[in-house]
Parts: sequence; C-alpha cells; structure tokens
Amino acid sequence: MSDKRFGFAGLGPTVFILICLVAGLALDSYPKYVLAITIISMVIGVALVVLVGLGRCITLASGSVMAIGAYAATLSMVHLGVPYAAALLLAILAGAAAGWLIALPGTRFRGHNLAMVTLVFQSVCIILIREAKWLTGGAEGIRVPPPSIMGWRIASDSDFLIVIGVLSALIVLLMTILVRGPFGKNLQAAAGNEVAAETFGVSVPGYLTAAFVVSSAAIAFAGALAAPRIRILDPDSFGVLPSISMLAYPIVGGMYSVWGGLLGGGGLRVLPEFLRPVADYQELFFAGLVIVVVMFFPGGLVELLRRGSALVFVRDAKRGSAPIPAAAASPIAAAAEADASQVLLRVEGVDKHFDALHAVNSANLMVPVAGIHGLIGPNGAGKTSLFNIISGFLEADQGRIEFGGTSLLNLRARDRIRLGITRTFQHVAVFGQLSCLDNVIIGRGRNAVFHSMQQSFEYFIDGPGAVAARREALVALQAVGLVDQAHSLAAALSLGDQRRLEIARAIISEPKLILLDEPVSGVSESEVEGLRQLLLRINAERNIAMLVVEHNIPFVAKLCRTMSVMGAGRIVAEGRPAEVIAMPAVRQLYFGEESAA
Amino acid sequence: MLAELGNILIAGIKFGAIYALAALGLVVIHKATKTVNFAHGAFAMLGAFGSFLIVVHWQGPYWLAYLLVPILIGIIAALIEFLILRPLRRADMFTVVIATVFLGIALGEAFRLIYNTELLAVPGMFVGAPFVVSRVFVTKETLWVIAGALVTALACVMLFHHGKIGRGMRAMASNVRGAQLCGYSVDRVYMFAWFLGGALAGLTGVFVAPITGVSVELSIAVITAGFVAGVIGGFDSLRGAILGGLLLGVVESLAAAYVSSAMKNCVSFILLFFVLMWRPEGLFPERVARRV
Repeated sequence: MSDKRFGFAGLGPTVFILICLVAGLALDSYPKYVLAITIISMVIGVALVVLVGLGRCITLASGSVMAIGAYAATLSMVHLGVPYAAALLLAILAGAAAGWLIALPGTRFRGHNLAMVTLVFQSVCIILIREAKWLTGGAEGIRVPPPSIMGWRIASDSDFLIVIGVLSALIVLLMTILVRGPFGKNLQAAAGNEVAAETFGVSVPGYLTAAFVVSSAAIAFAGALAAPRIRILDPDSFGVLPSISMLAYPIVGGMYSVWGGLLGGGGLRVLPEFLRPVADYQELFFAGLVIVVVMFFPGGLVELLRRGSALVFVRDAKRGSAPIPAAAASPIAAAAEADASQVLLRVEGVDKHFDALHAVNSANLMVPVAGIHGLIGPNGAGKTSLFNIISGFLEADQGRIEFGGTSLLNLRARDRIRLGITRTFQHVAVFGQLSCLDNVIIGRGRNAVFHSMQQSFEYFIDGPGAVAARREALVALQAVGLVDQAHSLAAALSLGDQRRLEIARAIISEPKLILLDEPVSGVSESEVEGLRQLLLRINAERNIAMLVVEHNIPFVAKLCRTMSVMGAGRIVAEGRPAEVIAMPAVRQLYFGEESAA
Repeated sequence: MLAELGNILIAGIKFGAIYALAALGLVVIHKATKTVNFAHGAFAMLGAFGSFLIVVHWQGPYWLAYLLVPILIGIIAALIEFLILRPLRRADMFTVVIATVFLGIALGEAFRLIYNTELLAVPGMFVGAPFVVSRVFVTKETLWVIAGALVTALACVMLFHHGKIGRGMRAMASNVRGAQLCGYSVDRVYMFAWFLGGALAGLTGVFVAPITGVSVELSIAVITAGFVAGVIGGFDSLRGAILGGLLLGVVESLAAAYVSSAMKNCVSFILLFFVLMWRPEGLFPERVARRV
C-alpha cells in the first residue's frame, strides 16, 4: 500500500463525471439531455450507497425526497423570486430536514419496518404535494422557471449539461470523501455490529441519522438540479415506482463503494435508451435483474468487475505487507514499572436482581494496575452479569465500581474508552465488511459523527492524522501478528485471527484495562496457547491490566496472577490460581466434592 | 346523523374485513417463516386479475373465481418460495426484504405486460337494491364481503391454532431447530405457509376487485393496508391482524368522512408511526401464557 493510495483513487468518480461531461458536449441535443439526467441518477446512486449500502437502511422514500428537493427549489424561485443558486441551497436544506425526519423512526427500525415507514412517508409526501394545489399546482404540475446563475441564463442543452455535470461532480466528490473516510467506515461498523460499534464510541443512532441526512440532502440536490431540465414538475413522476427503481441503483451497481452507486445509477438510467425496441419489458427486466443480483451476485457490478480484473491482472499477493516504521514497531510503553500494589479497578458490594433471581450478590473484586485477574465459575454463577455491569451493558442495583478513582456507575458503555477501558466479546464482534486495518482504526475511539466527518477530509488528502492513525493500527496489528492481513476483510479471517483482531482493536487506544469476555471460547486447542502468550506479552510490554472471564480453567490458571471464583451470585473464593483451585469451596462448586473428609 | 355514522361504519368494516384478510396472509407467512412478504400486494393484485379473467373475460360463474383464484395464487406463492426465498434462507433480513420488494414489482409489471391497460373493472358478485334499515344502506355485496372475509379469516385462525399443519407452523415460529428435531420439515412448512399466505392474498384480491378494479396501484394499497393492520395487531398475532384490519378500515372511513378524503391516506401513516414508536408489540398482541 503506497501512502498516496487515498488521493488519486478517491478522485476517480469525480473525474469520471467530468469526463462524461466533456465528452457529452460533443453530442447531439437529445443525447445531451439523456446524459444530464444520467449524471443526476449517478448522484442518487452514490447517495443511496451511503444509506442503503453502508448504513444498510432500506428506503423506499427516495422519490419523495427528490420531489422535496425539486419542489423546494422551484417553489422558492416561483413564489419568492429566489435566484437558482440559492434555490439549490434551499433544496439541500429541505432534503437534509426530510432525511432527519425519516431518521426519527428510521434509526429505531430495521428491515421490513423501516421499508414500510419509508414507503408510507413516500406516499404521504406525494399526496400532500398533490393536495396543496395553491402552492404546488397539484397534479397538473408546475412550470419551472428558466434558471440563471449570476446573470448567466442556462438555456441550451450544453448549458444544462455543464451546470449539472460540474455541480454533480462536486457533490459526488464530497460524498466520496465521506464514504472513503472514517465517516463511511464508522457507518459500516454501526450497521454491521451495533454492540461493538457503541463500545468504541460509534453512536449507532447518530451515524444512521447522519446517513439519512447526508443521503437525503444529496438526493434533494439532485432533484433540484433535475427540475429545470424536466421543465414541468408533477407529483406523480416522483412516485413509489421511481423510488423503488432508485433502490435498485446501489444494489445492482455494488453497495459498498462510490463506484457502485455511480455505475448502478448511471447504468440503470441510460440502459433504457438502448432498450427502446423492448421498452415494454424494461421494468420487468430491471426487477428481475435486482432479484438475480441479490441472489447470485451480492456484491453487484463492481464486485463482478473486480473479480474479472483480478483474473486478468494477477495482483501482487504481497500487496499488504507495508513496511512499519522501525521506531514505532517497538512497544510503545516500557514506561515506569507499574506499581502492582496499586488498585486499578475496584468493585464493591455490587448487587443485581433479575425479578426473583439474585444474579450478583454483593460482589467484591479488585484488579491491580497492570495485573491479570481471572473470573471463573460454573454456568449461571453470575460472571456474565458482573462482567456486563463492569463493562456498562447492565446497570447494577447497588454497589460501587471505581476505576482509578472514577466511578463507572453512571457511564454509558461507550464512555469507558476515554477512561482507558476497552473490551473484547464472547461472540467475536469484528466489523466484517471492513478491513483489519479499518477495524483497528475504529478502536482508537474519538468516533463522534462530526469529528469523523472532519477526519474524512484529512484522510482524503492523506494528512498527518491519517498517516499516524494507519501507523498506530499497523503497530497494533503487528503486536497480534496480523500485519500481513491488514487489508483483508475481517469477515475472511479464521475465528482465532478474529479474536486476535479484537485484541488489536482493544489495545490501539493504549488502555489501562482490557475486559476479555471468554477470549478463547471456540478457538482451537493449538491457538489457545498462542493467545495466552500474546496476552501475557501485551500485559508485560504495555502494562495493560486485564480482567478475564473464561470457562477454560487451565487457560485462566496459567494466564492470571489472581483470580476470583463465583457461585450462585457470590464471590466464593479469591487468590492465586493454584491456591484457589485447591480450595475445598471451589472443588465443591465445580465437582460437588465433599470437603476433604 | 346517526344514520350517516352507521353508513360510514359499515363502509369502514367492509374495507376493514378486506384489510384483515390481507394482513392475515402477511402475518401467516411472517409468523412461520420470519419473512415479511413485500410482494403480498402484488399477489392480491394477481388475485383481482384472476377474478377479472374468470368473471369478465371468460364470463364464468363468480363462485369459480372464489374457488380457483386462491388456489392458483397459493401455488404461485409456493413456487416463489421454492425458487427465490429458499436460496435466500441464509441471507439477512435486508436482502430478503429487497428481494420481495422487487418481486412485487416484477409481478406487477408482468400483469401490465399481459393486459396493457391502466384499470380493469370487475362487477360485484351481487346486484340489486340495498336493504335500508332506518336510513342505513346495506347491499348484499357488502354483507357478502364482510361475512365472507371474516369467516375465512376466522377459519384460518382455527387452522393455524388447531390443525396439524398449523402446529407445524407454530412450532417453526417459536423455534426452527426444535421443530426440525421434532420431525417437522422446514421446507414443507415454509412452502405451506407461503401457499396459505398466497391463497389469502388471492382471496383478498377477489374480494377487493369489485371495489377498486384491477391496477398496479392496487398492490401498493394492499401491502400498505395489510402491513399497517398487521403492525397494529402485533404482527405475530393472527387474531390481532383481524382486529387491526377492522380498526384500520373503520378509522380510515371515519377520517375520510369527518376530516378530509386526503386525510384517509394519512391515517395509516399516523397509526403505523404511533404504534411502532409507542407500542411495537401491537395493540392486540398474542397473550403469552406465563406459568411459574
């Protein structure tokens, strides 16, 4: 991976639209018209990649959002005499507002409920436009006044093509920056694994709302660009069927990249021009096409092209082996020897009831600075409840939890990362659609929506922040032995490697404490030993304390310096592993042995 | 005044009974297979089209439409389950929803291609003057629709709750693995659920055809009404679907009469929104027996 990877590849979609524009100037009048409309569909396709592909939100409201943009621009020109340029801005605002409105229910539902809510939003919008005759001209439509920008009357086909092409290129550039940068990655993470995303400070509702707002603003902008080209706006050309066709853009093109939206939108819009002789079968053909793509080519056109080109140009297999700066490769902190007598995490008198079940009964626990503490116990002993209370996924009924002197009780799970607590999950929770590198970068935290949007610009020009993030991530990957897989999708890794990836993601923020939730469950026998040594090394080199919940007792006994045993909600034993395991109370708990008699 | 209200309520119940039937089909499929069939409206539209073919095109007797259409649409639905949904069984909900949405479009387009018109009219099963009871008008057709749709719906609930195949579907609904271990075949149960759901959609189409005619728009109207009625009822409750359908029909009818006709279409949006936001388990959820 060259360090300039982001810069040029990222400009591709924008340059592509500009090339279409320049080449199109040589065409006749009608093809120019078609090209302009096609470019608008490309913008919509890219906008839907953000929402449908990265955010995995099904929307059937795109037609109404486009109508909102087109009508906002037209009505402000007709009724208020606003100039076209300002009308375009108003359209963006109106679209953003509509996106925010849809997101209110949209962030709470997924799948069919979301599809239905957007479908009803779509229907109601069109009804309102049709009914408000005094404002919108109703079903007969409204004439769009000829636009002009700074005194330049946009009248000829070339004029329209230039305006639409240039502005579309601009908006696609903005969206490319967002999609390729941390914003897009975090959005994919939020849609892919909510619990893990929240743990690392990626607010799922926040990102989904942002996805609705960004994509709706872009679609409304596309509507406003199209309005003067369509000349007469009527509500029915923005109906349910166009909405559903638009949903096909990212699916057919490829849902996870800007190119997918571009090819899907452009291709599906321009194809009918070549299918004129069989125009009747067009819609049927498209609907069938989507079903075929969904069933057999889930990656869409882009994935097909990529596979095709991979066959033709055999890639350098070692592409991912990026050199790691020598200085950074060494462990970050061989800092002041940790004072093991100091307490890092203190749990006191924590209680938790589930109805009649007393899951955790005044539990006490202590993890020293840079210590490794194990928590074991038979099934139903309350380990997981206690662990979830410490990690912020459950609220305790009473008790105190202090971390370096700060109370954790009223902190949300995602606030813990700032204090220096991260975690791994019992059921591996990597972000499958992202590369290992991007997975680890998310682990750095600082993932608030606006911050990640700003960061996206920095990543796009490969600024110092981006370079630093990538280097830190490579170091973390190096530490867990995954640096060769930096560019593989996390979903493609073996379970053991996914566990390693989770550890890399947990250590990149240089936490003081990692909560390990059954770190070796499901991992093969040979990998268990490897993971144990990895954890010991991380503990030694970086002075990171660990709290481990695990069923594999030999593993815990060899890993931890101290451990606690839970039974029926209580801590029944505590101490060094060898001593604890020998205790009669513990043997009784596990084996039902009578005390040595 | 009272007579007017009576007329409005009867119109509402008539639509409501049809919505109930639409919702019931959706819920049966969802309950057994965890799939929301967005092509349900298209199935109903095909049903209405079938009714047109039999009654108008071939001048056949009306009862034949009521008999044949549900079976045919049921078979089409079962085939679609086999050809499209079965390969997607391991896919996530996102993919399945998209597939059924576009399936609905494909079916609608197929109809448009076969019969190149915007709207086909279908006569009612009964003609003749309405009964008038203290200025409330009731036609035979209305009585037939209300009684026919509700009786079918209730019969379906009985089948689901007491029949053998119903037990299979309920077993699947609560635990696929467990049902498999008990010897129920996923393939058979899923296919039957789709057959039953498709048959209900087809019947919805036959009942609704005289009121709305046959058009591509019908499919959107049916899926919206059926879905909203299902959500009101709790989406996993068959009785809830029937009650939800009736409630939606009556509220729509009242809104159209006393607020405005445009309002009628917004009612479903408002109901859907509020139920999803504040009572996602529905207004008539299935009673879950709790034994301690």
